[in-house]
Amino acid sequence: MKRSHLVLLLLTAGLVGTLIATLTSTARSVSFTEALAGEADSYKVSGTLVREEPVVYDPQVNSSVTEFTMRDRSGNVARVLLHEPKPTGLEQSESIDLYGHFEGDDFHADRMLMKCPSKYNEQNHAMGDATELPGT
Amino acid sequence: MDISYVGEWSLVGGIGQFLVGLALASALVSSVSYLANWVPLARKAFYLHAGSIFSVIALVFALFIGHRYEFQYIWKHLNDAMPMRFIFSAFWGGQEGGFLLWMFWHNVLGLFLMRGRYAHTATAMAVLSGIELFLTTMLLGVYFGDFQLGLDPFLLMRDAPENIGLPWTAMPTYLELPFFQDGQGLNPLLQNYWMTIHPPTLFLGFASTAIPFALAIAGLQNRQDKAWMKPALRWSFFGVGILGLGILMGGAWAYEALSFGGFWAWDPVENSSLVPWITLTAGAHLLLINQNKKRPSALFSTFYFPLISFLLVVYSTFMTKSGILGDTSVHSFVDSGILPQLLAFLLVFVTMAHLMLLDSGKRRWYGLALLLPWGLVMLKGWVVEGLVGVLLTLMGVALVAFKKDVPKSNEEDALWSRDFWMFVGSLLLLVSALHITWQTSLPVFNALLEPFSAPLHWLGEKTGIGMFEIWAQHDMAPGLDLDQTFHVVQVPLAVLILLTIGFTQWLKYKKTNLSTIKKDLFVGSLVALVGLGFVLYFYDYDAWEAPRVALLAAAVFAASSNFRYLRRKGRTNWKQWGSPLAHVGFALVLFGAVLSTSQKQIISQNRIGDLSTLNDELDNREDLLLMQGDTLPMGPYFISYVEPKTEGIHVKFQMDYFDSKPKHFEEGEVVLIDGMVFQCIAHHNASDHFEEDMEEKWQFVPFPNQRQAREAKRWEPGVVGDFLFTLHPRIQLNERMGNAPEPDTRHWFEKDLYTHIKWGRVSPPETDEEGWLGGRESTISLGDSVLLGSVLVKLDSLRSIRDEERPELGLLQKDLALAACISLKDRGKVAVHEPLYIVRDSLIIPDLYVAEEWGLKFRIDRFDPTEELIEWTVWEHESVRRDFVVMQAAIFPMINVLWLGVILMTLGALLAVWNRRTERNKQSS
Repeated sequence: MKRSHLVLLLLTAGLVGTLIATLTSTARSVSFTEALAGEADSYKVSGTLVREEPVVYDPQVNSSVTEFTMRDRSGNVARVLLHEPKPTGLEQSESIDLYGHFEGDDFHADRMLMKCPSKYNEQNHAMGDATELPGT
Repeated sequence: MDISYVGEWSLVGGIGQFLVGLALASALVSSVSYLANWVPLARKAFYLHAGSIFSVIALVFALFIGHRYEFQYIWKHLNDAMPMRFIFSAFWGGQEGGFLLWMFWHNVLGLFLMRGRYAHTATAMAVLSGIELFLTTMLLGVYFGDFQLGLDPFLLMRDAPENIGLPWTAMPTYLELPFFQDGQGLNPLLQNYWMTIHPPTLFLGFASTAIPFALAIAGLQNRQDKAWMKPALRWSFFGVGILGLGILMGGAWAYEALSFGGFWAWDPVENSSLVPWITLTAGAHLLLINQNKKRPSALFSTFYFPLISFLLVVYSTFMTKSGILGDTSVHSFVDSGILPQLLAFLLVFVTMAHLMLLDSGKRRWYGLALLLPWGLVMLKGWVVEGLVGVLLTLMGVALVAFKKDVPKSNEEDALWSRDFWMFVGSLLLLVSALHITWQTSLPVFNALLEPFSAPLHWLGEKTGIGMFEIWAQHDMAPGLDLDQTFHVVQVPLAVLILLTIGFTQWLKYKKTNLSTIKKDLFVGSLVALVGLGFVLYFYDYDAWEAPRVALLAAAVFAASSNFRYLRRKGRTNWKQWGSPLAHVGFALVLFGAVLSTSQKQIISQNRIGDLSTLNDELDNREDLLLMQGDTLPMGPYFISYVEPKTEGIHVKFQMDYFDSKPKHFEEGEVVLIDGMVFQCIAHHNASDHFEEDMEEKWQFVPFPNQRQAREAKRWEPGVVGDFLFTLHPRIQLNERMGNAPEPDTRHWFEKDLYTHIKWGRVSPPETDEEGWLGGRESTISLGDSVLLGSVLVKLDSLRSIRDEERPELGLLQKDLALAACISLKDRGKVAVHEPLYIVRDSLIIPDLYVAEEWGLKFRIDRFDPTEELIEWTVWEHESVRRDFVVMQAAIFPMINVLWLGVILMTLGALLAVWNRRTERNKQSS
């Protein structure tokens, strides 16, 4: 066996090992129900903001907690306490990933990722609205 | 119906569309005639193509300068209020402009490439023209039924599909409508000077990967001749320099202008531009090994790396523009209708590159035949299934080509040769690239796994292997913990890569006598040890961060070793500078990046937290709530929020920084620390930490008397010193994307102080007619205090109302009435007030209590006698309300090492290109 093959083999083995390791540790999103039943410290729950419920961020009371309501992908709704100042664009978000766990009835999230409408998408909305203007 | 519209520049639009058509036709002619080796015709066609693209770009600029809002692209990205200096940002603010920019650079580079006098030029130009052919279709804007081919930059608003048939499109004078007097304007986030220089640099880097790609294809076509390697090497190093600069410019943009709190977030958009850089770097080094070798080693990789670098650029375009990244990226785009086209572009070139790996025309046809069924599957509508089939087949093709089609040398490189270790370094880079691609592509894998969910689930059940079940869920996402997701693999790899860089530079090609370089390696290691000591002495690292510290030491080794090499070899010949300089730069980039990120020190903390009664959850360690006019200690500074100021689309917050001077304590003074009272027994200037003074200067007071309890103030190490400087973090008022904070950073030689506003009021608060702000409900227990604005409110006691007081308060004898005695305190002013809680016939009578001079209004909503607490609603009056911000400040140590490294790396890479250029001239003359 050639030396370069040996190097290749070693690296491949290392890579496959780490990939499997990272794959199993990859956070998978669960429903609120699963997160409520489970014991783990952190779950990922994906869903959308319930716009009818208020988004509360009062920095004078607590500058690092934002409260809102989310509906997960299976349709369960829970109140969320996000331990961060209110992220920009939360109200406009299209989907949300939360990382956290339940304490009582509230889902406490340490981190959150949002998908916001892109500028292109939004421009399309604006176009749709705008095009009605001259016609009326 | 023919309407002649008034005032439209439709002629310009028509010319533009004609030029796009011309560019398409000429790219086709150029590609075909280069393939057929009709070089004169092919050259003319390419000139025509380049001329058309340059003219299209000029026309779009003309439309921007003329503010022609009848064109959709202009309307979307420009408005009258926008300063003209952002015209470039506006130009490439949309996908059409992005493609034009990319094509611009392809054509510029093509004009250089076509002058090559080696055998592979024609084929390479044919490939480049082919790439251009595909890219030009992105500008067509032609519809076949619902299928959209390209985005037309010259599309008139009235021709936009969503507007067709609307009444105003039939008005000849529609341009006089108010709607067309101004455009929508560029997203304010992009109105930034970084946006002027970052995209062109990045796209030049992207475009320069196309040249080694084209040359590698040509090299596969004509395998007997190695002439393609030298130009491919030059262009690869050019790409390494420019793409590296472009990527880190993006990092600088994020750091300086966006509130990411850093310059690198392993975001998919960032990763997908980093990965081609890594593979291009690896490819360049393989080319370096083989360009002069009679019997090439690792020839397959020498072909394959340049190929995948360009393919990964296209993949990156596909990922960021197709919307597939979805919720894993903060800045991904939603599908703009050209997804199938991008996918086709990617697939055609991936397929071509892999088939070209096969040695003969016949074998390539066989390969294509194997792919055809999958193509049919895709056409039948099972796109993803077909795609998976194509990808698996192509992997098979690559494997067969590796085994059979690309010649291998039987000779092995000597162990102590530059060739061997450069190859090892390239493999390390490949592993790094694979890992990042894997993590970034999880959403793509999800999409690919989706149709196979059921069989995978079945497999999972049968075999009990958890991985199948995870795949069946097709819901994988990279973890948010960057240490677990990226650093765990990337940091050890970087250590190995840096060691290889520092060591291999001293080796000679073919064979090295180790004893000649022992001393140099020893010196390098010694410097690395000193660096390690420096890092461990000045910075705090936990044991689990050992790989990180090893990386820092390895970076010092690589930098010092290459610096020594540069001084040795470069003294007489500056042409030797390129490679060691680039390596020093690369090592410094990693050193600065790792040190500044891992030792990032957030100095803002919420000081109001010590009023533990305010809120249980106020254990905030990273954000500081700062009232206007207050000056609070923050890290080694005092900070004061002076005022907000609105300027254009920004609200600027003036934050003044002051020095912190040690506080002087006199004998007998009492302080409070962690709820315990201490008395000063010897006057002294405070140290940074109480523990340092506690033994000798303080005495614990276990049972403080009333005076001591009253006078004890929280221990602080410092008092406000001299004014130092002002920072102006801003909030950008952005109606479309939501208001966005922009940090302000103070730069020093060895560190940066970064300040940004996490929350700030950008418009006056809403009040009722009398000026009261919306009430807030809260609970307060007996003896507790809360802070309302700047007023400290304490619930001292609760007492029932005596009979003789009742008439005066308008209470009946049967009423149950309770008074809450609260004391209000603000800067030496103290007062006691008594809002009432009244129950009449078991109904609560709401009683509003106004403390006029304090600007506060109370209403007790509930009283709990067992817990001795009340629930109340409190209103503040706007006259007493003080503005405040929630802000964060962080120190990034040694971040300038990173920027210095970027500059050196780019210079080194470009120097390497320049020197090889002069080498070529010498040879040809």
